Amino acid sequence: MRVLEETLSTPGTESVISLNAVTREYASHGNVVRALDSATFAINSGEWVAITGPSGSGKSTLVNMLGCLDRPTSGTLKIDGTDVASMSATELDRFRADKIGFIFQQFHLIPYLSAIENVMLAQYFHSMTDESEARVALEKVGLGARISHLPSELSGGEQQRVCIARALINNPPILLADEPTGNLDAANQKIVANLLGELHRYGHTIVMVTHDPEMAALAQRKIALSHGKVFCHPTSSSRMIRLQR
Amino acid sequence: MFLRLLYESFRRQRRRKLLAGVAILLGTTAVTAMLALATTIGDRIHQELAVYGANIVVTPVADSLDVKVGGVNLKPANGGAYLHESDLIKLRGIFWANNITGVSPELRVDSVAIVGNMNSAPIPVKERGLWFDHDLGGLRTGAPQLHPWWKLTGQWPQLFKGSDTFQVVLGASLAKRLNLKVGDGFILNGPTQQAVDGHGQASAVGIVSTGDDTDNEVLVPLQIAQGGLGADNAVSRVEISARTKPEDAFARSDPDKLTGKKHDLWYCSPYANSIAYQIREAIPGANAEQVRQVEQSEGTVLSRISGLMWLISAAALLAAGFAVSAAMATAILERRAEIGLMRSLGASRSAIALLFYSETGLLAVFAGACGYLIGSSLAAWLGAKIFATGTATTFASIHIATVLNPVLLPIVVGLALIVAIAGSTPAIRQALRMDPSSILRADA
Ligand SMILES: Nc1ncnc2c1ncn2[C@@H]1O[C@H](COP(=O)(O)OP(=O)(O)OP(=O)(O)O)[C@@H](O)[C@H]1O
Ligand SMILES: [Mg+2]
Repeated sequence: MRVLEETLSTPGTESVISLNAVTREYASHGNVVRALDSATFAINSGEWVAITGPSGSGKSTLVNMLGCLDRPTSGTLKIDGTDVASMSATELDRFRADKIGFIFQQFHLIPYLSAIENVMLAQYFHSMTDESEARVALEKVGLGARISHLPSELSGGEQQRVCIARALINNPPILLADEPTGNLDAANQKIVANLLGELHRYGHTIVMVTHDPEMAALAQRKIALSHGKVFCHPTSSSRMIRLQR
Repeated sequence: MFLRLLYESFRRQRRRKLLAGVAILLGTTAVTAMLALATTIGDRIHQELAVYGANIVVTPVADSLDVKVGGVNLKPANGGAYLHESDLIKLRGIFWANNITGVSPELRVDSVAIVGNMNSAPIPVKERGLWFDHDLGGLRTGAPQLHPWWKLTGQWPQLFKGSDTFQVVLGASLAKRLNLKVGDGFILNGPTQQAVDGHGQASAVGIVSTGDDTDNEVLVPLQIAQGGLGADNAVSRVEISARTKPEDAFARSDPDKLTGKKHDLWYCSPYANSIAYQIREAIPGANAEQVRQVEQSEGTVLSRISGLMWLISAAALLAAGFAVSAAMATAILERRAEIGLMRSLGASRSAIALLFYSETGLLAVFAGACGYLIGSSLAAWLGAKIFATGTATTFASIHIATVLNPVLLPIVVGLALIVAIAGSTPAIRQALRMDPSSILRADA
């Protein structure tokens, strides 16, 4: 793995994500499920945060809201200083295209598009496609030789790297990763972990849901969820991420 | 990328697209066939019904009080009882001139035929002067056109000016009675002519079988009959075939009692009545009447058929719309995760709607164009089937070229688009309503 040039941006002090008593309730079969219960915390620009918690604790619910795919039932969610509630659906779509990159456990690549086309799809919905830029993004994740392969012709780790390249192509400040290594073996997990480390060093804000203590240990801070409630861990700025070949 | 997505969608969901496409194709085929037939069918039915005779008959005014015994005009051959052949050209100048499709004047003369040698006894025959293939100010017309069921062996008479002989066609019964065949000659003299020096030398160039009184007549060029009667330019009756609007209450109004605008409206509607009125105005001493029964049935048949056609067309399009709706619903259901992913990549609702609408739009244009072609052929074929009945076979062949109406193409494709877009809207709206987070979670 190529080590990216040292552009260690000091974690900003201004919070790029801030939640104030954010609650998300789902009404299903007559009863109300409170998937997230008055979550209040902030994430600073350039921070790498791990979200942990047992299944059903509301991790995905949180990520969906941070990604503007979902809106809080109550409370205020500000991303990059903008109150999500104040935006129209169209503005929210635009906002998402500009600010957020998603990395999924299931990769969610479009099966009939090649690796490079999957990356270009994100460009297309953002602004316009640029094949050479997409190729560079795939080279950065070590897939320069596989750009025209279909997802089914790639291993899980490779698919996840395509997903990362796609998340990065529009250079969003925030990366949301819902269990990015959940479907990967140890070797691939390491590759993805290293990639995330590089992105962190580039100054991206990373919010990563994980069950894996090893992965969680890479983050600067852990936010634990239990039954929709948040337990914040203090920033562990002492932790250094080692990038190695 | 947009085209790539479109292409892949067609490539992968071939079955669904095919299903929706076939539905649109069938719908537009039906509509095209109906529209094509509806636009040509008026003419065709008119021609078919023209088999039963002309729909307007013009007679001299004095003749309306006429006494006819067995079809023989007992009126003296004075000028007042005749119309002038030279006035008929005025039919081409009336308001609805272009709706007049056939004009057939006639002049009946009681003549005698002498068959064999000059000393044979003269046999009284009914002579009828007609146009056979006359150019009336650009309209080629004549008795054969207005009587398409007449069966002719041989040919219609032609007129050779300055010749002593002339050509005639014999009614089948008369030919049998006189024992004449095509190619035979005989003497035919009108009341003012003497059988001298072979005057009135007629040559039978054809024998016609009509199934009515005409079978006992000898048909001659109008000018010959006028010569035989000694009345140049005389015409005793004119049959006119005109395309008309079905008669309604307004059509039956008395034009002279209508005021201003109403009169103009009546005058400018192609009712048989108003065309007859205009004929009376144009031709001095003419009495023009519509021939009712034919006129009526023609109108009713037309309106009934077109009503049925619209119903079938609407049903076909509606069915196509439902089929598209069902096909799109499943197609979009299959692609829910994809839509969710696209939303997570920042795709707006309108971008996704555009993608799906383009898909159906493309499908509609393609299927609609095919439907147009197939529908046109179907109309040609159907037209041939419907009209190729009875004796009017010659009138029946509707060629694809006449049915392939370019004006219909944008109409049909437009209808296909409307149906496809309307049909896919519920599915697309539902896809856009879906919460993108739940779509992603459903897979997770
Ligand atoms: N659309 C929905 N309708 C009703 N309830 C929902 C919906 N989505 C999530 N929930 C409920 O909200 C709670 C939190 O779900 P969430 O997916 O956020 O959990 P999670 O922490 O991501 O779990 P996992 O680790 O298994 O992915 C769960 O109890 C879940 O059943
Ligand atoms: Mg989850």
